[in-house]
Amino acid sequence: MKGDKLYVFLFLTPAFVITGIFLYYPFVDNILQSFYKTDGFFNSTFIGLDNYVRLWSDEIAREALFNSLELMLYVTIFQVGIALVLAIMVNAITKGAGFYRTTFFFPIVISGAAIGLLFTLIYNYRNGLLNEILVNLGLERVLWLTEQSSLYMVAIPTIWNYVGFYFVILLTAIQKIPNDFYEAAALEGITGVQKMFKLTIPLIVSDLKTCIVLAITGTLKIFELVYIITRGGPGSSSEVLGTYMYQKAFEDTAMGYGATIAVVIVVLGLSLAFITNKLLQKEEVTY
Amino acid sequence: MKHFKWSLLLVLLFVLIGLVACSNNETDSTPADNDDTSESAEETDTEEASGEVDLRVVTTMAGTDPAGEVFQEVLDEFVSEHPHVSIENDSQSADAGTIRTKVNTDFSSDNEPDMMFYFNTVDAEGLIEEGKVVNLEEAEGIDLSGFNSMLEQQRHSDGNIYAAPQSGFYEGLFVNKKLFEENGIELPTTWEQYEAAIEAFAETDIVPIAASTEDSYYVVEHYALAAGGMENYKAELADQNPTWAEGLDNIKKHADMGAFTPDAATIDLAMAQELFKQEQAAMIFEGSWFWGQLEEAGMGEDVTVLPMPVYADGGETGEIVGGASQGWFISTKSYEDEAKRDVVVDLFNYLTSEEIIVRIAEATGQPPAKGALEDLPAYLEAGHQLVSDAPAVALPINDRIYPEAFTHVRTSVPDIVSGNTTGEQVLEEAAAMEE
Repeated sequence: MKGDKLYVFLFLTPAFVITGIFLYYPFVDNILQSFYKTDGFFNSTFIGLDNYVRLWSDEIAREALFNSLELMLYVTIFQVGIALVLAIMVNAITKGAGFYRTTFFFPIVISGAAIGLLFTLIYNYRNGLLNEILVNLGLERVLWLTEQSSLYMVAIPTIWNYVGFYFVILLTAIQKIPNDFYEAAALEGITGVQKMFKLTIPLIVSDLKTCIVLAITGTLKIFELVYIITRGGPGSSSEVLGTYMYQKAFEDTAMGYGATIAVVIVVLGLSLAFITNKLLQKEEVTY
Repeated sequence: MKHFKWSLLLVLLFVLIGLVACSNNETDSTPADNDDTSESAEETDTEEASGEVDLRVVTTMAGTDPAGEVFQEVLDEFVSEHPHVSIENDSQSADAGTIRTKVNTDFSSDNEPDMMFYFNTVDAEGLIEEGKVVNLEEAEGIDLSGFNSMLEQQRHSDGNIYAAPQSGFYEGLFVNKKLFEENGIELPTTWEQYEAAIEAFAETDIVPIAASTEDSYYVVEHYALAAGGMENYKAELADQNPTWAEGLDNIKKHADMGAFTPDAATIDLAMAQELFKQEQAAMIFEGSWFWGQLEEAGMGEDVTVLPMPVYADGGETGEIVGGASQGWFISTKSYEDEAKRDVVVDLFNYLTSEEIIVRIAEATGQPPAKGALEDLPAYLEAGHQLVSDAPAVALPINDRIYPEAFTHVRTSVPDIVSGNTTGEQVLEEAAAMEE
């Protein structure tokens, strides 16, 4: 047994070293940087909790936080919701299931930057796809990215991008359900809708829980789509924590303040994952 | 069994050491860019023994910059004349501003380039204060003769020169003469004509001014200049000069008149440039580097550059934003390396020779820091005339104020346009950031 421990230690060491160097060390350093007014390179002054005090009264940061939470709500409801509906529908058909599986999964393999560019060109006021269609139909151009609409317009590609991911997880979960359950239910005279709500969903609830946690924590990492499509604008109407952190750390070279925003993102992500796990805690379904 | 385990452990250890050793040998055979100090020392030994010198040069001559191709040719020619030298061209476009992060990261991680063409502005302050770059006037073998007044513009507040200029630039109002003629609108040489042009184009399908109000660098600068003239334009941010606030509020006034495309708050500079190049917009605030793109688009002849009409008392139309804010730096580490010093000095003198400076300037059409461009097309000549006729020239605002404060001013323009804030309030917030 003692010898096994040696092997465990030996084989885990490379993983620990790599994670330590590339994840934990930068993370701890990031926390330290958040107590400094620094450009990250040559100018550094210890300012204690001043960055946190500033963050507390920073209206743009507050707006970015609320935007991130709002985006999280849309993403969780629609990404997982649409994925669930699609998975149930694809599972119900016998012909062409492969085609739909590939089609729905396809957006996952496209990089976020490419999708961002794609939607930038779709929403563009003068030469965008949507407005070209409207103009050809004899209608007026529409300003798609306004202060009121920008967050929704960013949410659309964000949802579309990752629906396929949750679709595959849920489809696999549904296909794992033994057919006996459905056969027994059919003998009892179950209808299609009842089958979905009383049989399929309760049996894949643990997978749904995983999807919801992944969707919630994933939303806090949203950056490239917002950065490319709206750059957080107009004004700061679609600013999210990721884009605001990038702007502060890398465009404004206020690395200390950027590090403070990063700490908040991590704390928020961990807290939300913890809360979601607690709320969704339920006995595991086994079959 | 126990012995077997220990033997296995030893074998693994030897394999690991072997792999590390092999990787070191490999590095020795191709001594490129390595930031490890001991490896650097080994590299130097190898270089000294073989006479080979590897240099790395970082510039902003990349991406859409038409100077990029010529610069690579120039480097290739230097290498062919100096067979023992190899140069890695690590240039990166200045468009996204990430070049600043790259240079700062390189210098702070002991991986500095041997030479760089970089902003000699607030961006280089840290490098100069830390002694990371060489005082060129004291460096042995460096030839600083033959430069025009752009060299003096590089003098740092401590009295030394750390960067040698290559070319100057100017910013101005680029107007599509053809669109003005076709619509019977006068070119905007006064503030009244400028506003009349906005009103007239706003009634057509042509956007009066192609601009991003988020990436509003040049718009902010020119509106501040128009409202205050050069004297106020040169003010410090801490002064919270009322003419700057007036300039910012004028952007809203003109936006309400239909000066910009409705999505100006979400497009970037590149998309604004596209509007102008596709002749969907009549005017754009840009810099002399924009000529390269206009020539590529085949519309150089249709465009001319005008100074921003200044309406301020004491100001004068013709005052422009410009100068020479970039220069060639030599890193101290490289200069102090005996094996590299001579080659670095040779390369510096070669790149800052009149022949090379003029050759690179020809690609961009920008005024060179040595010599002069000949046989220029009329539109480029007009730009050079703009500089020589200017009663006053000053560097862009963002070259002299705290980056975070300027970003706040620039990115607040959409909020000023939508009426959520005012120029005065934005300046007050930006000044607080600088403190």
